[in-house]
Amino acid sequence: MSTAVEQRLFALWETPKTLKGHLSTVDHKEIGKRYIATAMIFLFVGGIEALIMRLQLARPDQAILAPETYNQIFTMHGMTMIFWYASPILSGFGVYLVPLMIGSRDMAFPRFNAFTYWTYVLSGVLLYISPFMGQSPHGGWFAYVPYTNVPYSPGWGMDFYNTSLILLTISTTGGAINFIVTILRLRAPGMAVSKMPLFLYSTLTVSFVTVFSLPSLTAANIFLELDRRWATHFFDVAHGGNVVLWQHLFWFFGHPWVYIIFLPATGMISMIVPVFSRRPIVGYAYVAIATVLTGLVGFGVWVHHMFAIGEGHMGMSFFSAASMTISIFTIVQVFAWLATVWKGRPVLTTAMHFAIGFIALIVVGGLSGVVTAVIPVDWQMTDTYFVVSHIHYVLVGANMMPVFAAFYYWTPKMTGRMLDETLGKISFWIMFVGFNLAFFPMHLLGVLGMPRRIYTYKPGLGWDSINMLITVGAFILAFGILLSLINFFWSLRHGHLAGKNPWNADTLEWSTESPPAPYGSVHIPTVVTRHPLWDEHEEEEDPSDERVLDQDRLTLSSTWLDAETLALARMPEDTILPLLLALGFFILFIALTFQWMWVALGTVIYSFAIAAVWFWPKPEEGELA
Amino acid sequence: MPVFTDRRSPTTQAPPPFRRVDDKRGTWGMAFFVATEAALFIAMFFAYYYTDKSNAQWRTEIPSKLHYALPMLAVLLTSSAVLYWGEQQVKKQRYGAARIALIGTILLGLGFLVLTYFEDMEHLQHLTPRTDAYGSIFYAITSLHGAHVLFGLLMLSWVLVMPRCEPALYTPHRPYHNVAIYWHFVDTVWIFIVALLYVAPNLYNYS
Repeated sequence: MSTAVEQRLFALWETPKTLKGHLSTVDHKEIGKRYIATAMIFLFVGGIEALIMRLQLARPDQAILAPETYNQIFTMHGMTMIFWYASPILSGFGVYLVPLMIGSRDMAFPRFNAFTYWTYVLSGVLLYISPFMGQSPHGGWFAYVPYTNVPYSPGWGMDFYNTSLILLTISTTGGAINFIVTILRLRAPGMAVSKMPLFLYSTLTVSFVTVFSLPSLTAANIFLELDRRWATHFFDVAHGGNVVLWQHLFWFFGHPWVYIIFLPATGMISMIVPVFSRRPIVGYAYVAIATVLTGLVGFGVWVHHMFAIGEGHMGMSFFSAASMTISIFTIVQVFAWLATVWKGRPVLTTAMHFAIGFIALIVVGGLSGVVTAVIPVDWQMTDTYFVVSHIHYVLVGANMMPVFAAFYYWTPKMTGRMLDETLGKISFWIMFVGFNLAFFPMHLLGVLGMPRRIYTYKPGLGWDSINMLITVGAFILAFGILLSLINFFWSLRHGHLAGKNPWNADTLEWSTESPPAPYGSVHIPTVVTRHPLWDEHEEEEDPSDERVLDQDRLTLSSTWLDAETLALARMPEDTILPLLLALGFFILFIALTFQWMWVALGTVIYSFAIAAVWFWPKPEEGELA
Repeated sequence: MPVFTDRRSPTTQAPPPFRRVDDKRGTWGMAFFVATEAALFIAMFFAYYYTDKSNAQWRTEIPSKLHYALPMLAVLLTSSAVLYWGEQQVKKQRYGAARIALIGTILLGLGFLVLTYFEDMEHLQHLTPRTDAYGSIFYAITSLHGAHVLFGLLMLSWVLVMPRCEPALYTPHRPYHNVAIYWHFVDTVWIFIVALLYVAPNLYNYS
């Protein structure tokens, strides 16, 4: 391949390294890295909040935090971790990897991709304005009414909760639509649905789940904000409102959200385990089907968060049964991974350590989940540390562990440098030990009756030494994470060069340079099997240079089932409009927080004007009749 | 289908293998946007019926008047029909007629908003969003729909003032069609609102 072609592609796709270039780039690789870095920052902020809480709880009758401060910190910890870390980090890997995995030059809507990133950051900024006012949300991450209504929460905290979540929802839903259209329309020729990498299955599934579940949260947030500042009565029992309505709306979103956090992580594991077992995954079709079914059945289990409020017997039995059913789909995946390791020749790299550590933790977290799906047990355990333990096994175990596996596995692709394996393994073992030390004893603490969300407790209840142990574990876990961070910055300069495919992996992203050129691969690849880089087929074989597409910013679009090439997809240029639009939304939601309605009206007009410019036909197209 | 015309420099080698331009991504994006909006309205309808279920006092509410809701339904359905006719004109490349259809749709949409104003003026006399939970949910749903009508009108006007509304090689590829999807969705939502919030309460009031 002549370098002239590469130069042309470079000129078409490269973003200039200027301030304007950085602010207006629509390159999915750049945006994906930003997603990951931003989510990591939120992980550290949320982690520091957790450590402060653990200091407070380490011994009985501590007074490091005032009760109100404690409430604010545990709420911010929950919101930060669940909304601003756990899902965006997976979106980040998705935004970076999906176009490379499907052999496309970018996402389906590159400018919209930039917009969803900026709204994500700015929604986090909006949330973190509140601590500086001393009025953070303090009602827990699920913010049950009536406590979160104005008479009991008069400050601005819960208003920040509502507005920042609605803004984040816009970002997340937009990102999900982008993933759906990208995966369904831009796959490389030949990558039929039966040949898609499993990460695409999980990303596609959660994108659909996002589209249909998040509006429920938006409705709940709108109702609560109207109740709080506009004197309506959605949740006001005295005027015919219903407080349980909040719980239904929230959990109809909330439980699918658990799978939004969980499934892409399993998708990553389904990519990593086979590569380091040196064989294709066992039961590809079953894993794919289990992924889709988890997303689907995930819509039918939300009431298991509400067993304690007293619903009808029939209803509760149904949701109990559905909650147990859904564990079957997870178990299908677990056995597929185990069988893959069993039948393969495992290589214990750091990524593989994290992957296998994840399998151990998800089994524990899944089992405590099945236990709490049993209604009598749930009545006993609800609002105790048993549930805290369960949620952390599921969310930390099944999100953070795969994310670190992915971090060790894909960072060489993103930076071009290998991370240090020895330091990585040390980091893994410290994290794994710290994690179990911190969260396993919480099961016991729950059985011993310690309620969640108390800011301190009296000595002599049998909780003292366990709490101290948990705090020590939390700090060990934090130290392990810190080691991985050090590893990353050290490797940026000193790591071995990665080359194209350091792990001898099978999927298309490893056929590009590390880090990939702005245009991905020179020839849009073609695919004939599930394992493009392990088979005999030469992906970039293209004797007459038909798939170079160096006339303009172009990529191929294909049919959604069989991925037969359909047409040329034209990709937009870099533009600063996404940032301008996101800023408009940001100011709009600040205004809505404080009911500055004229400012809100102004920003709506501004946003519409920006959007109108965004979608205005370009003048230069006239010469192309 | 538009045919791709490339700007070949002398050094560019090969023609692309497919000479059609993909103009459907925006349509797909709009379809999924409509899907998530539909889910938002479904959540609101759920809130309406859930609060209703646990609330005997709703039975005594004065049933919503139909003498505005049904004409408003007729106006919106007509507007959808006109816009659909406009879409057919775009397919036949009669863009002048398509723009006239667009103007007709916008006028009918404005008519709907005017009727909304009169309906609300009458309705607010005995029910406001602050009266009780019924008022809160009723006005939340109708106002959300009203906002969607307004947004739809803005988008339709934007297509109207665009220098071209026909399918094109450059983004926006099919502005007329994509905005029409949104408008048809907004009209469909009103059918459900009339059925669930206006007609159904009248039915069980007499039974």
